[in-house]
Amino acid sequence: MAASASDPGAKPKARKLARFNLADLLADLAIARLRRYLPKDFGVDLEPPGARALRPALAANATKSRLRAFGRELLSTRLDRSGARVRTLALGLFVAYAAIAVKLLALGLSHDPPQTLKAAADDAVSGARPDLLDRNGAILASDIKTMSVFAEPNRIIDKDEAVELITAVLPDVDAKELRERLSSKKGFIWVKRHITPKEQAEIFHLGLPGVGFLPENMRVYPNGPIGAHVIGFVDEDNVGIAGMEKYLDEQSLTDPHVPGFTVDPDRLKPVRLSLDLKVTHALRDELTQGLERFQAKAAAGVVMDVNTGEILALESLPDFDPNAPGDVRDPTKINRINVGVYEMGSTFKALSIAMALDSGKVNLGSHVDARESLRYGRFTIHDFHATHRVLTVPEVFTHSSNIGAARLALMVGVPGHKAFLRKMGQLDRLRTELPESAEPLVPKRWGELNTMTIAFGQGLNVAPIQAVMAVCALVNGGMIMPPTFLPRTEEEAEKIGHRVVSEQTSESMRYLMRSNATHGSASFANIPGYYVGGKTGTADKIIHGHYSEHRVFTTFMAITPADKPKYLYLTIYDDPQPAPEDHGYHTAAYNAGRVAGALIRRVEPLMGVPPMKEPPTEPFPIIARLGYGADAEKTGKE
Amino acid sequence: MWRLMHGVAIAALIGSAAYVYGVKYRTIYASEQLVKTRHLINKEKDAINLLRAEYAHLARPDRIQALADSKLGLVPLALTQIATVDELPDAQPKVDSIGRTLESLGFTADNATPAVTAADSTPPVR
Repeated sequence: MAASASDPGAKPKARKLARFNLADLLADLAIARLRRYLPKDFGVDLEPPGARALRPALAANATKSRLRAFGRELLSTRLDRSGARVRTLALGLFVAYAAIAVKLLALGLSHDPPQTLKAAADDAVSGARPDLLDRNGAILASDIKTMSVFAEPNRIIDKDEAVELITAVLPDVDAKELRERLSSKKGFIWVKRHITPKEQAEIFHLGLPGVGFLPENMRVYPNGPIGAHVIGFVDEDNVGIAGMEKYLDEQSLTDPHVPGFTVDPDRLKPVRLSLDLKVTHALRDELTQGLERFQAKAAAGVVMDVNTGEILALESLPDFDPNAPGDVRDPTKINRINVGVYEMGSTFKALSIAMALDSGKVNLGSHVDARESLRYGRFTIHDFHATHRVLTVPEVFTHSSNIGAARLALMVGVPGHKAFLRKMGQLDRLRTELPESAEPLVPKRWGELNTMTIAFGQGLNVAPIQAVMAVCALVNGGMIMPPTFLPRTEEEAEKIGHRVVSEQTSESMRYLMRSNATHGSASFANIPGYYVGGKTGTADKIIHGHYSEHRVFTTFMAITPADKPKYLYLTIYDDPQPAPEDHGYHTAAYNAGRVAGALIRRVEPLMGVPPMKEPPTEPFPIIARLGYGADAEKTGKE
Repeated sequence: MWRLMHGVAIAALIGSAAYVYGVKYRTIYASEQLVKTRHLINKEKDAINLLRAEYAHLARPDRIQALADSKLGLVPLALTQIATVDELPDAQPKVDSIGRTLESLGFTADNATPAVTAADSTPPVR
């Protein structure tokens, strides 16, 4: 001890002077002085024995100075001792960090980290999702709170008894599987999700340790299968699997369902879709009736706002109930509008004629020779309703002449045809908000024969939603815009849309569709008062590599009102049979056309459009100035 | 003097301790009430959600359609049911039907306003 070096000198000195108070005082002061310069350890008694008899003031003085010395000692660094201290400190820190490293390694290597019940529960319960509303605010999908039973296998004492009691209350729980899961080493398992309050009370009264309840979100679809293909559905953990439900997850509009990232359910704003619940129901109801009446394999339909591209209704039958989706991979239950690709048949003639008109090579007064069947190599193109005469362009449309459409497309040529179809979005995959989409089947080598057949709708398979988008652009004034399932205003649509055909071509198409409704194949859909325009399409289905005349795929497109379209209707039937009263006809007009007519009659009042008593006075001003379309005033069969 | 000061200080100490205890107790009570109320609000919100879903389920279009078809007997609007303003007949001249009925029953005399003579109508000038 360094301090003890001063002791031998200090102690005798104090003892000797103890007799005199003054001397004592001086000695004490000297010691204090000395101590100031000689650091010493706390607890070492430096007090000379005689000093105990000193006056309290002096003793206090001594203690004070001692404390001061200790303080200085504490704050100063003694180099001669630092080495050992640093080593001690380093050793201590090393041990501490080694312990942390060992623990980390152990955690990293262990397969089943010990999980608290809270963490396990947070992981397992379904995350919250925002409500889905239709355009008018009606609920399409909503979350409700339900109770789910869970178990902690390591806390259950008698597993067999627990299984027996639980399966007695919940008969639909598989006893064998539950026993297996209870024997696992997991800290948390679900016994059954979404139980009723009565079942909850019964299980609670079993009084089993290690069995508890957790509130969970359950997705409900109050309207059942109405609009199911658009809405989609979720899995057991409330994660979107299909349709707009999946879109919500893709856009991170739901609770991310990652531990530590829970979102307050109140902050999830409801998401409004462009769908109209009533219109969707009307569409589904009419399609279902048609499906039974015409004994068809499948049906599908769309109602769309042509000025904004919003889908008001989309149905594909057979469909499913999103509350219990069942087998999600059943190919008969696909969304035929977005995922199926089909030869659209004569509805494609609208595109061919629009292309010919827009190219300026023909006008509404031009004539096309349809006297003879069109031969190309070993192929011959016939007309279904053969006229054997020279047709005008409107007649090609109303008589649905294959020869006429093929000749019109040939006038534009293969590159022009391809470029036009690409511009109309028919050759590329169309993506909407729905995760489901399909690539059109485009012929790899596209020659003149391909152009001829595609002109009347054979040889090119597209998703019906693509055809809808193209026809929408043809009739709304020439602006193409991708269809959407979210609300879109006309201003937004104007920004997104771009011109593909001229105003005049668009008006010509509206005139052609209108005249087809008054004295053409679309007359079944010509509902008085709504100034309907329409186009039928009947494509022979390919059976065993050959086009079959008995198996058809029928489509119908209608617009209302034809002078200033607001809504576009599409109905599709796959393999319809002739109804008893139709004398063996199963072409589009008899099934898809009729259904579209019934649909228009039903939907227009729902959208607040009253029937007009008088047809519009000047429906087609541009082409009227050119001297065409006078016969549009004719009400025909109206 | 000092003793008194000490006494006051100790009393103040105990008093403030008691007050702080009271405040703390009330705070705990209030925060418990807050949690309870929050739970209650959440429960009510869940109940509202459930009722909304149930309402939507009961008001689903196919159910309403089935009910309307079986109970109401409504038909779609036909073009013939719509009339324009021009088609409405002109308004007939106004007829006092009640007055006529009274007349036919012979009640005119009773209902006639008593005739006022010129002499009675103006008060005498003074």
